[in-house]
Amino acid sequence: MKKSYKNYIALFIAAITILIACKKTFLDVQPVGGTALEVSYYKTAAEVFNGVVAAYDPLGSETGSTYSDKVGLLNTASDDCAAGGGSATDQVSWVVWDNFTVSVGQGPQGDLWGRNYTGIYRANLLLSKMDGVADLTAATKGRYTAEAKFLRAYYYFDLVRLFKNIPLITASIPTTDIYNIPQAKPEEVYAQIEKDLSDAIAEVNLPNTVPVANEGGRVTKGAAKALLGKVYLYEEKWASAAQQFADVNGTPGGTSTYGYKLLPNFGDIFKPTNKFNSESIFEIVHTSQGRQDWGGWGAFEGNVMVQMIGPRNYTGPIYVTGWGFDPLTMSLVNAIKTDPRYPYTVANIDSIVNAVPGRAYEKGYQNTGYFIEKYAPKSQYRSTLGGVADLNYPYDYIEIRLADTYLMEAEALVHAGTNTSRAQALLDAVRARVGLGSVPVSLPTIYNERRLELATEGHRFFDLVRTGQAVAALGSTGFTAGKNEVLPIPLGELSNTILVQNPGY
Amino acid sequence: MKKIIMLCFTFFAIANVMAQNKTVTGRVTDEKGEGIPQTSVVVKGSKTGTTTDETGYFKITVPESTRTLVISSIGYAEKQVAVSDVPLQIILATSISNIEEVVVVGYGTQKKSVVTGAISSVKASDIDNQPIARIEQFLQGRASGLTVAASSGQPGASSTLRIRGTTSINNSDPLYVVDGVPVDIGGIDYLNPNDIESIEVLKDAASAAIYGARAASGVILVTTKKGRSGKSIVSYNGYYGTQAPAHKLDLLNATEYAALQNEASLASGGGILYANLAALGKGTDWQSLIFNNSAKIQDHEISISGGNDRSTFYTSFGLFDQEGIVAPQISQYKRFTFRMNADQKINNWLRIGTNLGYSHIKAFGVGNTNSEYGGPLSSAINLDPITQAIITDSAVAAASPYAPSANNSNGLGTLKDAAGNPYGISTIVQQEMANPLAYIKNQLGNYGWSDNFVGNGFVEVEPLKGLKIKTNIGAKYAFWGNESFAPLAYLNASTITLNNSFYRASNRSLNYTWENTASYTRSIGAHHFNALVGTGAYVDNYISRNSGITYQNLPINTFAAASMNFSIVPAYRIGSGSESNPHKVSSLIGRLTYDYAEKYLFTGIIRRDGSSRFGSNNKYGYFPSGSVGWVASKENFWPQNKAISFFKIRGSYGVTGNDNIGDFRYVSTIGGGRNYTYGSSDLYTIGYSPNALANPDLKWEQTSQTNVGFDATLFRNFSLTFDWYNKKTTGMLLGVNVPLYVGVGGPVGNVADMTNKGYELELGYNKTIRNIKFALQGNISHLQNRVTYLGADKQFLTGATLQSSQYELSRIAVGHAIGSFYGFETLGIFQTQAEVNSYTNKSGTLIQPNAQPGDFRWADLNGDGVIDANDRTFIGDPTPDWSYGFTVSIASRGFDLVVFGQGAAGNQIFNGLRRLDIPTANWTTKALNRWAGAGTSNDFPRMTTTDPNHNFSNPSSFYLEDGDYFRIKVLQIGYTLPSSLISKVNFQKVRVYVSGNNLVTFTKYTGFDPEIGGGSYGIDRGFYPQARSFTAGLNLTF
Repeated sequence: MKKSYKNYIALFIAAITILIACKKTFLDVQPVGGTALEVSYYKTAAEVFNGVVAAYDPLGSETGSTYSDKVGLLNTASDDCAAGGGSATDQVSWVVWDNFTVSVGQGPQGDLWGRNYTGIYRANLLLSKMDGVADLTAATKGRYTAEAKFLRAYYYFDLVRLFKNIPLITASIPTTDIYNIPQAKPEEVYAQIEKDLSDAIAEVNLPNTVPVANEGGRVTKGAAKALLGKVYLYEEKWASAAQQFADVNGTPGGTSTYGYKLLPNFGDIFKPTNKFNSESIFEIVHTSQGRQDWGGWGAFEGNVMVQMIGPRNYTGPIYVTGWGFDPLTMSLVNAIKTDPRYPYTVANIDSIVNAVPGRAYEKGYQNTGYFIEKYAPKSQYRSTLGGVADLNYPYDYIEIRLADTYLMEAEALVHAGTNTSRAQALLDAVRARVGLGSVPVSLPTIYNERRLELATEGHRFFDLVRTGQAVAALGSTGFTAGKNEVLPIPLGELSNTILVQNPGY
Repeated sequence: MKKIIMLCFTFFAIANVMAQNKTVTGRVTDEKGEGIPQTSVVVKGSKTGTTTDETGYFKITVPESTRTLVISSIGYAEKQVAVSDVPLQIILATSISNIEEVVVVGYGTQKKSVVTGAISSVKASDIDNQPIARIEQFLQGRASGLTVAASSGQPGASSTLRIRGTTSINNSDPLYVVDGVPVDIGGIDYLNPNDIESIEVLKDAASAAIYGARAASGVILVTTKKGRSGKSIVSYNGYYGTQAPAHKLDLLNATEYAALQNEASLASGGGILYANLAALGKGTDWQSLIFNNSAKIQDHEISISGGNDRSTFYTSFGLFDQEGIVAPQISQYKRFTFRMNADQKINNWLRIGTNLGYSHIKAFGVGNTNSEYGGPLSSAINLDPITQAIITDSAVAAASPYAPSANNSNGLGTLKDAAGNPYGISTIVQQEMANPLAYIKNQLGNYGWSDNFVGNGFVEVEPLKGLKIKTNIGAKYAFWGNESFAPLAYLNASTITLNNSFYRASNRSLNYTWENTASYTRSIGAHHFNALVGTGAYVDNYISRNSGITYQNLPINTFAAASMNFSIVPAYRIGSGSESNPHKVSSLIGRLTYDYAEKYLFTGIIRRDGSSRFGSNNKYGYFPSGSVGWVASKENFWPQNKAISFFKIRGSYGVTGNDNIGDFRYVSTIGGGRNYTYGSSDLYTIGYSPNALANPDLKWEQTSQTNVGFDATLFRNFSLTFDWYNKKTTGMLLGVNVPLYVGVGGPVGNVADMTNKGYELELGYNKTIRNIKFALQGNISHLQNRVTYLGADKQFLTGATLQSSQYELSRIAVGHAIGSFYGFETLGIFQTQAEVNSYTNKSGTLIQPNAQPGDFRWADLNGDGVIDANDRTFIGDPTPDWSYGFTVSIASRGFDLVVFGQGAAGNQIFNGLRRLDIPTANWTTKALNRWAGAGTSNDFPRMTTTDPNHNFSNPSSFYLEDGDYFRIKVLQIGYTLPSSLISKVNFQKVRVYVSGNNLVTFTKYTGFDPEIGGGSYGIDRGFYPQARSFTAGLNLTF
């Protein structure tokens, strides 16, 4: 009896042992909910749409290895703003682009480069994942395709302007080729951008306009044409540029076929409560709904630049304290002093603080007392939702707006020497909106108008470079011709790859 | 000679006459007079024998002819005694060579004399009564081949433990196996060191291969205490003591600081900042505000153990409570532990047993313990001494920044002391450097907690003699979480909290293992065999649930008043949660050990592991090993001599693996959070995209190791163990660093290779001269780590970064030790402009055109005539070449003295205590010897505010310091009351002692503590130093 009992237990254990050893499915672990595998993703229209969102995501990138808001950085590089902040070492990457001591290892290049290539990867991926998705209609697929191509073009346009010599990648890279991608000629990049935008424009399912309430910020045909016009302008293809802009702009001062019209009140353009207004052609969207705290670093949904440009330790009305970045240069302040756009462009903190005792702010690095008004942190727009309010300002950037396309078309027409009367009308319309009289249209008057109209919106540095005015405007702060037109290729990108550093770095 | 013959004759005569049995009694004790239970007492040359009872007494009936008894017990030297009519008093000396010791190997035990692998053992008795909280401290300095470095002096903090160097660039933490149950390294602090009976460190592949896929970085086998048959024993062990920091930094006082700031300002084109230096006086000593010179530490444990020949038990309750020496209000660790181990022999073929442990831990942590970004230590070092710690001037307190303002609504954010005075806010040094007093107040009450249940139960059947079939189920069920409150705070201009928030996290996880083994032992003549086969299933995160809730804008403003019962609008109630993926391993195990007459030894192991972390291409890995040994001293030709009485030579080779790389890295997974906002409603949409590229061929990291060593006993009293090893790790899983232009993170690939070579020596010496027992244990290890391959296209990976420096601080580079420091080399300081002007390249242009006298002369290492990123080189190594430890103990007449010292040598420390991007940060007094004119200094550059020559912002040899240290860890003096005294009150043992810990540290390093482990190994960013402590303790047994 006892003996057999003993043997049964031994047998039982042995049997279980064998059972475990043989149970093959034991090791087949599926990811817990919320984690999907790429191979089994992009199988429904909803999942494809999630990919569309991901492709837009880098547009609003505020931070990477450090603070790297594109508009804030471009302002710093231009003669509109200095770097500012708490000290000369507060944000080194801002300071070195301000005084053009950007070096291979130090500067904003890493974040600017990485964000755009992230966008390109996601656009490329999206384009490759839309075949055979059962519930994805041809119309939706067409629209997503056009959006992906627009976004790819947008990211490449930033890259080619910022870095000039860049790898051109339009499909997912085989693992074996990762380190062997050469830099393309800038012309090749521009050709790809033109092709992508032309494809997007040709896509019948890309809407001319979108319902603002729930699709504002998505790509429209008008945005694609405006961007293509801008690309042509940078390529100095004047006639082609003018042609694209003509469709976008319509009759100067009127409403174009895409519904664009200059706002009567200049100051209304930038209000976070007036998003997707009729002057907005392509808008980079931010929200306070993320309710984020510092843990959201790298993926902020709010506009952090707003916090950065506020006066430091400010105590007073209207504004909320910030970190003192992008103080306006006296060059801009003097240029715009008597212009009607002055109060909407310049926040004169010194005068506010000096007006009433008890008000104060800390004069940070390169302080002039003048700050950016268009995106200034104001108490009325400060998030009262959860999270760290500093990180959740809901301010958008209007990347392309109608006054910009008016002036770009005028510029193209003047260069082309055709239809200067339309050029004059476009310039006049921009000026008339703020109550200024006509001045004769010419490159200098257009350039001047661009500076005043678009101040601190991130266009100035590119304008100076493409029009050959950079040395004159920025030479005194350290700009070296033949070098500082572009940023260096980020240091990490040169390790183990065949990329070649830009000249001068 | 004549006498002996006479004596023999007499014996012989008596034996002839009496020819009957007689009874011999006696007691076997150790040198302290404690009875040794379970000691074998055998008549020499026969099988007649008995064992002692739990107090060491024995009674044996022997033939009248018996002349000699052989007394032997594990851990003690065998002794032969002549029988006598009076009760025998037999004192056994602790075994010198420990040759007869049994060591725990994977899935069993083995006599140490026949072990063929490289295993170091540490016994509980080696570390009794020392104020240690964790197992790593148990091991530090006790075993060769082990480097242990505290990751923080924060109470309860873990240490970085490496067995034979860094095995992998991924995860080099060893596998902990507690009573047969693998326990994750993060949760090992549930274990009360007082409950540990012994620890075996499996160092070579031959020993560790039985744990296959998880053994590449070595295995630490922990055996907890078990009961012994005999009378129940109740023990109390406890101590109480105080701790203090051993060392403060010499920082500049206010006058010195202001003088240097003036100098820097003038050098950078500014004006005099502080006109009246003398008026500033000494200023604020921030360090004195955060250090606690009387931090308490106490530990109490009561254990009850006992049993009979069928069942045994061991139960213990422990309480450990330690206050931190830095910011003690927010630095504390309390642990309650409970253990119940039991073993039951149901009958002669069935045995069951359980080992159960429970712990509750509550810990307060200062946070940021080795970070340059704030925290009390970093702030105390960097804050200017001019700012007052507490503002007592009411006029100042009523003005900015203490007064209410937009950033400091209602002034609520201004933190105040008990007297209502605001804590000083520096306007000179800002960023994360908040007043540590305010920081402490801000963190007050925040704590973390955990409850761990770890245990196993087994059933063992022996259907045939020698065949044991065992099934063992183990599990760890862990609950942990934390609570924190962030009040409205205005700590300085850049550290502001405008909405208060209350956070509560709670998590739980369940890991389990199930192992089944069959082991068969057989001896045929002098041939001894043991065969083991088994299966194992291991599941981590079988359950894994994490959640956290944040309430914001509470109507109160302290942790004490915070509650989740407040009604808060939904917008301010934020929740988050997550689950982790299960990680599964399934294994087949096989082992054969064989020896011939304990002279020729062989062990062969093979283990097959399958892991859920790999795709179908490489799901399974095979991990074989073999080892041989030869006990030369057992050969007939080995001359009987005192010089070398035991000599064994060993050799082994084996392969182990590592799958400690995270889940689903062989495929590309989709992740969320790539969000964008559409429309004027401002509601954002969640976007999804792949997290990284896929690598379906991902497979195990393999570590192969060759080990050659010998064990010897010399002159009876010396034991010596030597090992040499060569460990090669291949196919290390490396997140392939793809260029950013790829647009997505790189996949993980089996890319990199690394070697660790070294040798180790362990030495023991025991000697009792008259009443004085002397023992010495020492070990020393040498290690050389080299990264040998990082992929065809890669020479290095960038390592740690420091603050805002544009350059990485360290690299993982081919041909160098992992984490080697990388930076510029200085060639002294330019004393004059003429020297700057003469530092030219081949074409005569200045190499450092912007340099001024007082700036570093950087070495132009690539000779291209400019100083840039390409002029960096390897300037140091954070891993010690040598680590060593020794214990000396002397006992006599009830008194005992133990000295334990431990040290490391051959490494460098990067002294990154001062913030580079805050030009106004304070300096140590080293700065008083800065360059201030020709000939004043050739190693400390001039003061500037802008640092145009990057004297300070370039990582360079300037920051490296010699990391060698030697530390007297323990000096303990105890007294055991004589048994004659205590036996009257029924005590078996009463010992009192005083102990000093971390008494002296010999080092040239100028920071707080040269022992810097943790995430940034060897980089001091404001390290929480280990305490120097004095404790008094009591051991009671009854």
